[in-house]
Amino acid sequence: MKAGTGTILATHVHEPGGLSQTLEFLKRTRSELRQLRRAYVWKDRLHVCDVNRDVFEIVGLGYADPDIIPVFTDINAAYDPRTIHLPIEAEYKEFNLGRRHPWAEDRVM
Amino acid sequence: MLQTTSKPSMNEPHDQDPFNNSSYGTLVDAPYKLVSLPVLDVLDFNERIIRGYEDGSAEKGLPADLSLARSLVPAGTATLRDFSNIAPEIPLYIPENCTGCMDCVTQCPDTAILGKVLSETELEERLATITEPADREMFRTQWSRTKKYFDAPQKKGLPGGMFNIIIDPSKCKGCAECVTICDDNALKMADKTDEVMTTARKSHRYFKNFGPSNQQYVSDNLLIDMMLKEQTHLYTGGAGSCAGCGEGTALRMMCAATGSKYGDQWGIVAATGCNTVYTSTYPYNPYLVPWTNSLFENAPAYAIGVRMRWDQMGWQDRPLWCLGGDGAMFDIGFQALSRLLASGMNIKVFVLDTQVYSNTGGQASTSSFTGQNTKMSVHGKVLGGKQERRKEIAQIAMMHPRTYVAQTTCAHTNHFYRSVLGALEFDGPAIVVCYTTCQPEHGVGDNMAAEQARLAVDSRAFPLLVYDPRKGNTIKERLSLQGNPSAKDDWYVNPKTKEPVTFIDFARSEGRFSKHFDRDGNPSETLLRAKEDRLENWHLLQELAGLR
Repeated sequence: MKAGTGTILATHVHEPGGLSQTLEFLKRTRSELRQLRRAYVWKDRLHVCDVNRDVFEIVGLGYADPDIIPVFTDINAAYDPRTIHLPIEAEYKEFNLGRRHPWAEDRVM
Repeated sequence: MLQTTSKPSMNEPHDQDPFNNSSYGTLVDAPYKLVSLPVLDVLDFNERIIRGYEDGSAEKGLPADLSLARSLVPAGTATLRDFSNIAPEIPLYIPENCTGCMDCVTQCPDTAILGKVLSETELEERLATITEPADREMFRTQWSRTKKYFDAPQKKGLPGGMFNIIIDPSKCKGCAECVTICDDNALKMADKTDEVMTTARKSHRYFKNFGPSNQQYVSDNLLIDMMLKEQTHLYTGGAGSCAGCGEGTALRMMCAATGSKYGDQWGIVAATGCNTVYTSTYPYNPYLVPWTNSLFENAPAYAIGVRMRWDQMGWQDRPLWCLGGDGAMFDIGFQALSRLLASGMNIKVFVLDTQVYSNTGGQASTSSFTGQNTKMSVHGKVLGGKQERRKEIAQIAMMHPRTYVAQTTCAHTNHFYRSVLGALEFDGPAIVVCYTTCQPEHGVGDNMAAEQARLAVDSRAFPLLVYDPRKGNTIKERLSLQGNPSAKDDWYVNPKTKEPVTFIDFARSEGRFSKHFDRDGNPSETLLRAKEDRLENWHLLQELAGLR
């Protein structure tokens, strides 16, 4: 799966101080996207992709932005908060979104 | 007793299955697989008992007669099971994007996505048999001209082959593994509307009506293409495994590889576990080869007995697989397994390694990774999941006299097939340990089996290996780590990020380790120990293979 190859179904412009609006926008991924599969984040934008490669795009939110952490937490991305903001040579960073709660994980036998 | 005399056969179109999608045969229709046994009447079983389960009358109308009491199940009865209504989505095929790689067909856990190749002439002849023009055009558009099957044969002077992928709507569980594995955007998930399902049912029916693939397009040297042959489909759809089950794919691929060489002239002794539950939930059996199950702990001992009897009968040339999960082979049946491997007998062992007792709710096994959150090693304030280190059954097996050993995953298709075929060719005991996801216990999505298996290998959590005693007299000569990325290095470095891929990255992607990360993303001490354990295991393998 390559970044930037999916169909962008919806776009939101992230403004400084606009985290709550961004999270509100992402709620739509639950009903308008299928199983979430991967997140791609550039310096200046984020793509949340589902299994069909359909994309929700957030413009203005890059990996250096502190707001990426609550957004990634919201979509359950498998990311490392210690390195997420660090610059890299590559054009973008990518993260899996397939993590789930294990069955009955809090059940003590 | 139920009256069935006036009803059409379950293997023919009927009210519940008007397009006969649940007929015997995978790529083409086939009759019931009959046996000559005084204790099992296949026709009665399929027409009376299966029908009772399929139409919902079994619990009210089936008498507790000898047939039920014996719990014998004919071969392939899972074929007659209808899963059309268990998932809200189904994959759709986009032929113009398809390259004919066969990854989707290979990785499906439920034999629900199938491929076929015909010459253009053959295709036109068969299309002409579809009387409804709209259906004919609908199905015609689902055939593609790929480089692999059309352009490449043409360059050799042969007619180009038309390629078709089809989804069996009666067997698909909607896991989306096929869509995830497809690198070419040739599949997408869609809602199961009436129109979508009718098209899928008709397409699947025409697919089966069109006969087998033209064998001139199927290369025996291309292992990924083996599922274009009917004889490899010895594990039918209709098993009761979870959507996306990694074990289902492993069993299908094991059956395909064995079937490609031996047809259906071989058998299975299975240890109790998830695999026996979903392949023998009465009255449904997906296997088209003889299969038996006794207990959790005794499958290898049972297999020794079957092997001896088969040899007495002159069946030395028929392979016998003994299969079980990590609970059966690493733990509870370990002494029996060791006895089997020490026996020198020609028995092949296949281990479905989910690193957890999946069937009983997710207890830790000796195969579980350090730090894994399981029942009986629950992550809490005092202990962070499992504290012991993982047992390495492959290394233990290597130390048995003259034993073939392989460790593989379904996501590494060629490695998998070569491991299984190597085990079959080896004249003596062999064991193939296969990494398999258990979606509910690992805490990963239904579509993640292959991706997580790849990450398990990339992160050294589960290295690939083949140990073949025929290769030489030293361990270094016998042991190959081919297939592992950057095999001479400690860690594989992701070329995109330039960062090493470690066990911490693997753990971060699965729910079973999620409690090991604090709010800032720091891994726990236990998880760091797990990382060191995996590196130490990798170093040992490198040393044994002469790479260190």
